[in-house]
Amino acid sequence: MIHLPKEETKLMVAVHGWSGIVLGLLLYAVVLTGMAAVFAEEIGAWSAGHVETRSAFEKPIDAQVRALIPRTPAEFRDDVNAFEIGDHNLGVFFHRHELKPNGEPVDRGVYYQLDAAGNVQKELRGKGEEVFGPRNDDALSSFLVDTHVRLHLPNPWGLLLTGVLGLAMLVAAISGLLIHRHLFKDIFTLRRKANPVLVDRDRHSVAGTWSLPFAFILAFTGSFFSFFGTVGVPIVAMAAFGGDQVALSEAVFGNPGKPDPTPKAIGNLDRITADAAKRAGGAPTFMTIEHFGRADAVVTTFHMPKAGDIEPSTLVYKGATGEFDRAKPSIGTRPSAGGTLAAIMGPLHFGNFAGVLSKAVWFGLGFAMCYVTLTGLRLWLVRRREGARSLDWLERATTVVGFGLPFALLVCAAAFLVTMPLGTAVFWTPTSFVAACLVTIAAAFVLSNARLDRALQIGMAVLLVALPFVRFATGGPGWGPALATGELAIPAVDLALWFGGGWALWNLLGQRHEDRGADDFALQPAE
Amino acid sequence: MSLRARKWIRVGFAGPGAFIIALVIMAGMALWLPQGAAQIDNLVLPLILFPLIWAALFFHACLDGKLGRVAVVALGLCVIHAGLVANKFMSKPAVHPAAAHEAKS
Repeated sequence: MIHLPKEETKLMVAVHGWSGIVLGLLLYAVVLTGMAAVFAEEIGAWSAGHVETRSAFEKPIDAQVRALIPRTPAEFRDDVNAFEIGDHNLGVFFHRHELKPNGEPVDRGVYYQLDAAGNVQKELRGKGEEVFGPRNDDALSSFLVDTHVRLHLPNPWGLLLTGVLGLAMLVAAISGLLIHRHLFKDIFTLRRKANPVLVDRDRHSVAGTWSLPFAFILAFTGSFFSFFGTVGVPIVAMAAFGGDQVALSEAVFGNPGKPDPTPKAIGNLDRITADAAKRAGGAPTFMTIEHFGRADAVVTTFHMPKAGDIEPSTLVYKGATGEFDRAKPSIGTRPSAGGTLAAIMGPLHFGNFAGVLSKAVWFGLGFAMCYVTLTGLRLWLVRRREGARSLDWLERATTVVGFGLPFALLVCAAAFLVTMPLGTAVFWTPTSFVAACLVTIAAAFVLSNARLDRALQIGMAVLLVALPFVRFATGGPGWGPALATGELAIPAVDLALWFGGGWALWNLLGQRHEDRGADDFALQPAE
Repeated sequence: MSLRARKWIRVGFAGPGAFIIALVIMAGMALWLPQGAAQIDNLVLPLILFPLIWAALFFHACLDGKLGRVAVVALGLCVIHAGLVANKFMSKPAVHPAAAHEAKS
């Protein structure tokens, strides 16, 4: 155990409290959406009614990519990225590399979205950041991810803000560890029959203690991702390469080789994907072709980690012949400490290294962290309330964000389900979220905090139960067709929503029973 | 120095100071860390370690009872790493990346 002197412990308690108070509500928003984003892929399949389970790379792609060559201007045929979109369809981005005036590299080209038959459904031209926006069928999962990654603020400010929130979470996690005098005792201490504040404090402490290592990992990896491109790469490139970010990127991610610009058609991509799937134990999740149409073309396939591994695998093929060249680390040309550490940051943050099981654990611990953030804020407020310092506005803000945010997310999920078949989900998903937030904020001015709290909880419970029915009613696939194709995400998300709704209703009934006779059920009476 | 002034200096070192000094250390680390087998460790490790460097500076500024030592450690690290970067620029003037790429092509 770490035993700090009394004064330092007091200071750490203040640091722990203030790190939560100053940025706690924003942090809660990032953690809550991150928790949901762990299952972004499954939520995407559930919400859009995707029932295809075969990866785009398990189907023939060679003819589809070749058919795109004549319609692509030669200036954008330097490199090609291929990846999955929608219902396991193929997205192909023919592009060239450019530099912004500030030296930041950017890709410009033509992005083709193909349908299940391999026909071009949509063609977009421009820079990467311009063409890779949300689509009608992934507007909900894109919205969730975008909220988590940058709180919908423009780059780089959104990433910088979430990076700072990651640092605040790091402070809360480390100071939380330092202020525990009896860490192991605290893990198991739940005094159910103590006074309500002590019960709340025990719950906060137990949930916080169990999720401490997880909070540390998420805060560390999250702030790494936020600061990586915004400040990290420009600064390291400035120090090591005089500001040349392309040189840094080439050194870290590149495939060095002897240039040979002789024109040569690309090798058979189907042979490459089949071989890659066999070697890596699964179909690629992403494919890049460097120097497309040249003798020195290089095809790189990226795969999820193999069973029992945490580092994703990457395979390199000679583009002109389709011959296997080598397996390489995700970062760097040879295995190294830095490359391995950087490569495992993604799986550690996203929790996708062991399939649904690790995702479920990450989701559960994310939920525990939301609970810790919210109860921490409320305990802090209860303590101040005793000191007769009025922080009513913060109490209301905590309710608006604490319950209003999940409520607004559920409203936007319902709006997505209704508007996706009409083709207007890209507009209505964020709009309905903003509308729900505004209604919640307006209600905070009208209702007492206790009533607002209960109203939002009822709204959440009703929406959780109703969402699967909305999905059925708007033409979403039933469980039979989903199970017939092996798409388990659809029934699993339906069941999870019903379970969540049932739990929320049960909780509300319990609160009603407990609070009969009390005026305020939002904040328990002080000790 | 008054207690209030000492408190604010400490806040300065723990808050914006820790962030700025962590950025300077990240830049300087790229120049002294070993490159490793793949020749990338010196480029990648500073990026990975940035949040931890910041946290170390933050907690040192909060918990070290001697404010002078906080200042010496933080400013010392800052000066050493800034010096390394300055030395690199003075020994080989930086070329604007756009100009470098134009020259290459």
